[in-house]
Amino acid sequence: MKLLIVEDEPKTGHSLQQGLGEAGFAVELAADGTTGERLALEGDHDLLILDVMLPGRDGWQILHSLRQAGRDMPVLFLTARDAVEDRVHGLELGADDYLVKPFAFAELLARVRTLLRRGQTTAAETFLQAADLELDLLRRRVRRGGRRIDLTPQEFALLELLLRRRGEVLPKSLIAAEVWDMHFDSGTNVVEVAIRRLRTKIDDDFAPPLIHTVRGLGYVLEVRAAP
Amino acid sequence: MRPLSLGARLSLLFAACSAAVSLLAGALFNQASEAHFAELDYQQLQGELTVLRNLLDGVADGADLPGRLPAVQEELALHPELALRIAGSDGLVWFDSRPERRDPAAYRSLEASLEPRRANGARLTLHLNIAHHRHFLDDMQRLIWLGVGLSALATALLGAWGVRRSLRPLRQMGEVAAGISASSLTTRLEEARQPAELAELAQAFNAMLARLEDAFARLSAFSGDIAHELRTPLSNLLTQTQVILARPRALEDYRETLHSNLEELQRLAQMVADMLLLAKADHGLLLPSREPLELGVELDALLDYFAPLAEDAEVRLERRGEARLAADRGMLRRALSNLLDNALRFTPAGGTIRLEVTSTADCLRLEVGNSGPAIPAEQLPKLFDRFYRADPARREGRGEHAGLGLALIRSIVRAHGGEIRCESVEGWTRFILEFPA
Repeated sequence: MKLLIVEDEPKTGHSLQQGLGEAGFAVELAADGTTGERLALEGDHDLLILDVMLPGRDGWQILHSLRQAGRDMPVLFLTARDAVEDRVHGLELGADDYLVKPFAFAELLARVRTLLRRGQTTAAETFLQAADLELDLLRRRVRRGGRRIDLTPQEFALLELLLRRRGEVLPKSLIAAEVWDMHFDSGTNVVEVAIRRLRTKIDDDFAPPLIHTVRGLGYVLEVRAAP
Repeated sequence: MRPLSLGARLSLLFAACSAAVSLLAGALFNQASEAHFAELDYQQLQGELTVLRNLLDGVADGADLPGRLPAVQEELALHPELALRIAGSDGLVWFDSRPERRDPAAYRSLEASLEPRRANGARLTLHLNIAHHRHFLDDMQRLIWLGVGLSALATALLGAWGVRRSLRPLRQMGEVAAGISASSLTTRLEEARQPAELAELAQAFNAMLARLEDAFARLSAFSGDIAHELRTPLSNLLTQTQVILARPRALEDYRETLHSNLEELQRLAQMVADMLLLAKADHGLLLPSREPLELGVELDALLDYFAPLAEDAEVRLERRGEARLAADRGMLRRALSNLLDNALRFTPAGGTIRLEVTSTADCLRLEVGNSGPAIPAEQLPKLFDRFYRADPARREGRGEHAGLGLALIRSIVRAHGGEIRCESVEGWTRFILEFPA
């Protein structure tokens, strides 16, 4: 997957490039609007990360010329102000998502993956699996090591999210938004508690553990090689 | 064009009034005097007529006249202001004491028959010189005009002085207002010393100053608090980073420090986001997109969200009542989730948190109540102040909202046209949100 970042603040730009690069993306970085626009029009990027305030051409203008040229790759805006007008303006121009600075990198990564996934038509999965953990979406049943595990609806939804996006570090804010539809950083440790309770049910009596905490970033469900 | 000053306007008005009044009085007096003089003159003429008729009694034609003339002349000599003309019935002038006269305006005349009973006989015409009356009246008119002018001038001056004096409190207000700066917001006008008409203005002025003072004090405190709140995490970050960089360390130490820094940074980011939201609310830019919400459903969703936390804390969550409210779902969830988070923090194990919705014709009431120690009454009004913490020693702690949580909630509620307050009695604390229906 090829990404283009247009960001004039060098530290932010390089951190994003490094972070997204390490997450497995091929990342190109442009430090001003004019270069960014040229690269975006010439290249074949799967997704664009655009800062709104840029020297040369600003984010809106780049987006505008992209859409005029018939390029419809998803665009994620970064803005320093969460002014309503900005949001509305961005959506009118066809931005797909936006993040207000300062944002957590884990959040950006999760949003990028969501946007990239949006285009793909995935066959409706009815069965999710990781190691010996099985999730039957139709009958809403969970088994691990052949043993049936009872989960509350919330726990089921949480596990489903972790399984669908296994291997991805999911920030708490994303989990709260996806599972409980809470779209704000509430500052509570609801997610922590919910994860801990889910863990006691699916990980405590089994090996290897599947749900891992990535400190400071979020949670990930993956099968890790035993240390 | 700039309108005339109040002083000038009132002075002119006063002057015009007094001029009109004195002019009217003068005109009436003038007329009365003239009538009076005319009356006097008429009486004098009548008197003279009688005397002359007596002197001329029996004169039938011009030939009889010379014999009587000395007596007539004598009589006329006594009255130099008087002129006499005697004419026959044929119009022939028999006698004229002063033929050279005649500025008709200077004389008042009386014409009558010589004999009272013979209307067609000889005729007497008496001319009374009334020049002195005229002079008197002319003088009087001059005096009247002078009086009019002087009184107008005097009232104008008096008016100007009075207006200037009466408006002095206004000028003082202006001076006070001009002298007010951020550091002198404690200045007040003395309301008791203001005239009744200005008392209200002075009161309003003082009230405005009080509001400004209060807002400014809050703002100053807020900026001070911001600085303090930022300083603590920043100093943590600086110290930790510098210490860890001072010498080579194990990889694990670096990782640990970065994690710790990350936590501080997240707190800082959250604080900045909260403060921006508050600033937006202050500028009236927090515009909720209203959609009709079933509060029952909304509250249940929130309780679902908090259920694991509550179970852990052994706190029971309840909801009562439902209603429909047009509100911004995101904002409302944020506000209520902050309230619930607070409530969970202060509810002891075994306690209860209850969400209750009641609605009347004109008001929708949403209560978030929890059992637990009561909040002291004197703290209640301050709860919603920014950076206010009931316990000043607890600057850090679990509150990720750094004392901004309740201020945020209030801003959200107010953006919806509602109001929030807190009541705390006998082990039950409740936050009451009221929205106009």
